[in-house]
Amino acid sequence: MIKIKHLSVAFDGPEVVKDVSFEIGDGEILGVVGESGSGKSVTALTLMGLVAETARVTSGEIYYDDQLLLEAGVPRNTALYREYQGQKMSMVFQEPMTSLNPTMKVGAQVEEVLILHDRQGSSYETKKEAKTPEAKNGLAGWHQRRLEEKERRRARVLGALRGVGLRDVERVYDCYPHQLSGGMRQRVMIAMAVILHPGLIIADEPTTALDVTVQNQIIDLLKKINQEQKNSLLFITHDLNLARRLCDRILVMQDGCIVEEGITEEIFSDPRGDYTKKLISAVPGRTGKKKSAHQKLKEAQGKKGDGKKQELKPLVEVRDLSVSYRENANSLFGKTIKKTVVQNATFDLYEGEILGLVGESGCGKTTLSKAILGLNKMVEGSIVHHSNSPQMVFQDPYSSLNPSKTIGWLLQEPLRAQGILDPSKAMTEKDRVAAAYDMLHKVGLKDKYFTRRPSQLSGGQRQRISIGQALITRPGLVIADEPVSALDVTIQAQILDLIRSLQEELKTAFLFISHDINVIYQVSDRIMVMKDGKILEIGDTEEIFRNPKDPYTKELLR
Amino acid sequence: MKKVGAWFKKQNAYFLVGLVMTGLAVMLGILSFFWTPFSTTAMSAAERFHGPSLRHLFGTDNFGRDIFSRVMQGIGTTVIVSSLIVVISAGAGILIGAITGYFGGILDEIIMRITDAINAFPSILLALVVISILGSGKQNVIFSLGIVFAPSYVRIVRSEFIRLRDADFVCRARLMGVKKLRILFVHILPNIWSVFWVSVTIGFNNAILAESGMSYLGIGVQPPDASLGKMLSDAQGYLGRAPWYALAPGLTIVWIVLGFSLLSEGIRRKEAGKR
Repeated sequence: MIKIKHLSVAFDGPEVVKDVSFEIGDGEILGVVGESGSGKSVTALTLMGLVAETARVTSGEIYYDDQLLLEAGVPRNTALYREYQGQKMSMVFQEPMTSLNPTMKVGAQVEEVLILHDRQGSSYETKKEAKTPEAKNGLAGWHQRRLEEKERRRARVLGALRGVGLRDVERVYDCYPHQLSGGMRQRVMIAMAVILHPGLIIADEPTTALDVTVQNQIIDLLKKINQEQKNSLLFITHDLNLARRLCDRILVMQDGCIVEEGITEEIFSDPRGDYTKKLISAVPGRTGKKKSAHQKLKEAQGKKGDGKKQELKPLVEVRDLSVSYRENANSLFGKTIKKTVVQNATFDLYEGEILGLVGESGCGKTTLSKAILGLNKMVEGSIVHHSNSPQMVFQDPYSSLNPSKTIGWLLQEPLRAQGILDPSKAMTEKDRVAAAYDMLHKVGLKDKYFTRRPSQLSGGQRQRISIGQALITRPGLVIADEPVSALDVTIQAQILDLIRSLQEELKTAFLFISHDINVIYQVSDRIMVMKDGKILEIGDTEEIFRNPKDPYTKELLR
Repeated sequence: MKKVGAWFKKQNAYFLVGLVMTGLAVMLGILSFFWTPFSTTAMSAAERFHGPSLRHLFGTDNFGRDIFSRVMQGIGTTVIVSSLIVVISAGAGILIGAITGYFGGILDEIIMRITDAINAFPSILLALVVISILGSGKQNVIFSLGIVFAPSYVRIVRSEFIRLRDADFVCRARLMGVKKLRILFVHILPNIWSVFWVSVTIGFNNAILAESGMSYLGIGVQPPDASLGKMLSDAQGYLGRAPWYALAPGLTIVWIVLGFSLLSEGIRRKEAGKR
């Protein structure tokens, strides 16, 4: 149905999409997989005619049902495109927070699609009706027809909203976007995309900004719509697992080129390209047996064979911990409201283990971790620490390193601070620099980075420095809050490997927080599942994966 | 013309031109402490109101004094006074802004209300009030304008510190056990230089204008010392007879202010290019 031939697109400078050719068949779900910067979004936007004005199509052409839409060297035919946009192809974007207009009611926004694009629809019908004898003439008749038309449109919008699995559609119709959750907004976006039954729907990372369980629902919805309406779907994602679950065929893109193309299962069972292999192996899978720190210790004892009983010592004991924060009115006389985020958390964190904490956004993971670090003042219950100066690694590699300092300075700073706090641990300048270089090597970076600044490093490299900075004082505990969520899949795998190997070498305990259960599986000895501020389940990784008790955990593991 | 424009963008000519303009003015000012073409106080009845010539570059005034020499000295006075004003106000701004921004709370509220109160008065008027209490003179002008200009720096520094106090890298520095003062001035402060430096150059311009204004009103620099503002005020009686007398200090002020504005724009662009 869609044919793209030798498409190349460039902004000021080199081409970001290079000689890309593919076809989308009727009713097919085609996945485009690639890391950030691989040109997958630009391809989709070019197809949709939404790519920025500064982009130049340097070669190739695009056909929709044998109608030439776009050709290299010829300026975009805006009028022709308007025919197609919305009516024959539509798009769902990644960010449900910003892709709806915050000042318009949801219903009106969906309705707007009908008003703008539905040629054969309402206005045409009313003309026909006008000729029927019963219809009143003049202004009153015109007004009545407008009302009827409006009523029909409303019914269609409600139908579309119902079709994407929203409940209580009458209420949703009159809601503003901020009153809806991310998943609901994404459903509204999908309703807007499908209401005119276009032949092609382009979904650009539609689930990336959503929680795992909501992600599953949206994927199911897209599949259902595809089956019912028989339209084609171009699904763009960086997540191979999602593509595998949804798509009939997959394109793998790298640096603007298509490096592999094929039926989904074939690609997964028999990847040809090196890059595809790398991508597939980088996806955190659920293979390989996991041993908890307890089991490891038991084995070690078994080997030694001495009768001495060794017990894993708890490093942090959390009992009945509740954390709340004040919603500050932020003025001198404003009232403050207390909000409880974590309720009655009780768990132990043992020496030398990686405890995975999994849960959706807003479930209190980060709040809990900050309470353990003592960064949160309003806590009830008790936390007993047996570790010294726990450190933290954050999600965003761009804000967690001081941009005005060099890497060397950053790596030395924890040692300097330690020396100031405790003069007995003070080190000479020479020792500090040596330790910093040593850590730089440990996190897998070369000497030359020592004098660079964070802005000269990639996201993955920065995250390595963050980890190094956290570990350089050899703390007993490091809390890693979504340390790989902002990274591409292949980089993600490298960082996870790094954390594992450093953990084995230094025997540091980690509290590893993530929303991605597969990532958690890869690194953790034990898993803790959290929802709505409560700890639902805690246990050895293998145990939880094989035998989840809580229904929520089952949903996560799906 | 297009070529020149492109060159401007490429070379960051804002910075270069600004640097040359202010550099030239500042050098003349410094030079005036050691040497001027004529004595700044030597009067000559025979040479009253001579127009600009090779002998007297900017002409002479009503006492037959060489205006060029007096402008040189005026630049010296004005630049020193304005720099001190900036040092006082910016220094106070960093100190107060950093502490209130980082710690927040009641102290922050109180200090912000005080700065609001200071901002509510026209700055020259407020400086006049301070001077009427302390008496006129160079030091008092510096002190009073220093106080009057401080709130704008407090606001800028404070807002930057508020922005950065919850940044991940500050949070991590706290976890490392870095002392609070070190976090304030070693970890956060270097990150606000680009914003701060621009406001300093703008503030310097304001200080030059304010100092000239004060001297114009006769409460700044006292005669026989030359100051650009004082010269303007003296010249206004002879505007028709000797326009160069007013033009020389006036254009000099424009020159310095323009140079500094270009310099600050150049710095802003350089910083923006780094990111």
